[in-house]
Amino acid sequence: MMRKFLAVFLKEIVDNLRDRRTLLTVLVFGPLFGPFFYTIMMSTVINKQIADLDQPLKLPVAGAEYAPNLIEFLKQHDTMIAAAPADPRQAVKDGNVDVVLVIPKDYAAAFSAGKPAPLQLVMDNSRESAGKDIKRARNLLEDYSLSVASLRLLARGMDPRTVVPLAVEEADVSTPQSRAVLLLAMLPYFFLFAAILGAFYLAIDTTAGERERGSLEPLLTTAVSRTTLVMGKLGAVTLFSAVSLALDVVAMVWCQGLIPAAKLNIALSFTPLTALAAFLVSVPFCLFIAALLSVVASYTKSYKEAQTWLSFIMILPMVPVLGMVLYPAEPALWMMLVPSLSQDVLITGLIKGEPLKGLFISVSVLSTLLLGAGLASLAVWLYRRERILG
Amino acid sequence: MIEIKDISKRFGKVQAVDGVSFTARDGHITGLLGPNGAGKSTSLRIISTVLKPDTGSVTVDGLDVQHDTNGARLKLGVLPHNSGLYPRLSARENIRYYGELNGLSGTDLKRRIDELVELLEIGDFAERPAKGYSQGQRIKVALARAIVHGPRNVVLDEPTNGLDVMATRALRTLIRKLRDSGHCVLFSSHVMQEVAALCDGIVIIAHGRIVAEGTPDEIRRQTGEQDLEEAFVKAVGPHSEAVA
Repeated sequence: MMRKFLAVFLKEIVDNLRDRRTLLTVLVFGPLFGPFFYTIMMSTVINKQIADLDQPLKLPVAGAEYAPNLIEFLKQHDTMIAAAPADPRQAVKDGNVDVVLVIPKDYAAAFSAGKPAPLQLVMDNSRESAGKDIKRARNLLEDYSLSVASLRLLARGMDPRTVVPLAVEEADVSTPQSRAVLLLAMLPYFFLFAAILGAFYLAIDTTAGERERGSLEPLLTTAVSRTTLVMGKLGAVTLFSAVSLALDVVAMVWCQGLIPAAKLNIALSFTPLTALAAFLVSVPFCLFIAALLSVVASYTKSYKEAQTWLSFIMILPMVPVLGMVLYPAEPALWMMLVPSLSQDVLITGLIKGEPLKGLFISVSVLSTLLLGAGLASLAVWLYRRERILG
Repeated sequence: MIEIKDISKRFGKVQAVDGVSFTARDGHITGLLGPNGAGKSTSLRIISTVLKPDTGSVTVDGLDVQHDTNGARLKLGVLPHNSGLYPRLSARENIRYYGELNGLSGTDLKRRIDELVELLEIGDFAERPAKGYSQGQRIKVALARAIVHGPRNVVLDEPTNGLDVMATRALRTLIRKLRDSGHCVLFSSHVMQEVAALCDGIVIIAHGRIVAEGTPDEIRRQTGEQDLEEAFVKAVGPHSEAVA
């Protein structure tokens, strides 16, 4: 029994290791897609934030000579004054510059007379990428206006605070971390995706593929029980799925080092220990997905048909995961009963560094394994029927 | 020895096999002859345990295939319609897999594979993946795989289909060798000449029923035709002339 199980298990492994497409999927595409995608997205987001924070505002100014004090104020507040284009309106319209400050000739006279001194900010509000610079320029001008007003009131012996009836404090809670959360929520998705891709071709090859090659019928005439046969095949599919998952987790740990998270003090705690825990809570899912894909592939008539069906089926486990990305919910016990959702919740908790809940983990592992075992017995039943020959 | 008693099998509205009984004896080559769709493959699939008959029974060396399925399987070697080799495995690996599934292991299995490689003249291509084999090479390996566990009974489903003359001759020689060493060989074909050239006993099947049975001489006598092909056409009946 055990020897025959091993014979089937090892034969499927050796056989499939010789298939280039399976090998590429299990060792390369499945495990590396997630980490690379994640690293590139993460680095882009972080680098953009660093760039936005660090870089001085580059502001083209026309007529800078009419307002030396204003220019001095701007320079002190991290602004690089640049020469204005000949036709500011056209230049903004063409998108060559985001915003231009135009100081007219009569600015100095109005300023000295204590009248509102005219300034013009040329901008294109419909251009989203310019929004940040426009806002910064406008805020700086308002700050200057307020400080001049305060000085004038002080000079007249009045408390400047009388013209500031409101003290609005903007509390922007969007931190670099919170922006990273959306990306962080995709990590479990990548893990499960790797597990599914790892199982994909083997599930087809060992079932629909075997039948299409005509090797199933003679196989069923050998003195091996259907249970042993199905278990050997499922074992091989599960192993490939787990290998793909393991490689994905390892690649993710390695990729963490490439993300410049430290520059923003983001706590992206995906240490090797977290990775090991994430792998262990996900491994039951490998058996589940191996059994699910194998059962569906057993029903199909050909390799092609199996591919079509499995491409659809492999989206199903992703639905709850994507649901959690779009509608984040607090972890609940019922979630542990749903394979893929339970792994998603557990891995997310691990990444956030939340304490592990023993109950949640045991329910997740048990329910996933039980459902996998149920699907495996369904596969055995399918192989006992004559219709398996197609 | 394979004894078939009154087996029937229906697929939906089609009565594929309808009360077939015959016996394939040890040291004999028994040919199951019939036009396409006559029920040959279904009968052989019932004998080789992948289909269950609706009624009737099959025993292999006295073991009922439905009650002692694994015991019967160990006494049967089956060469299916197409060879069904694993294209990414070599001949040796293909044979070894079936040996392991039928309970062989270690040096016994290795010795047996060497034996078969020599008997079937597989040596030249034994280590290459089966993907690139010719039809003749494929049949040889499939036959080696079918008899790796040394079964006394060998069932072959249209084994010479798609083989060239030389490969067909080589296969016939092998089948005779098996008979001469005391095996019970049962094989199906839709070609009269082939059965006549090889078989000690012929069972002609049409529309799921046996229409004639016996040695070539007996069949000539039963049908009153001197030419075997004419005898076959007559036995099969008017509906199947075209395929004889």
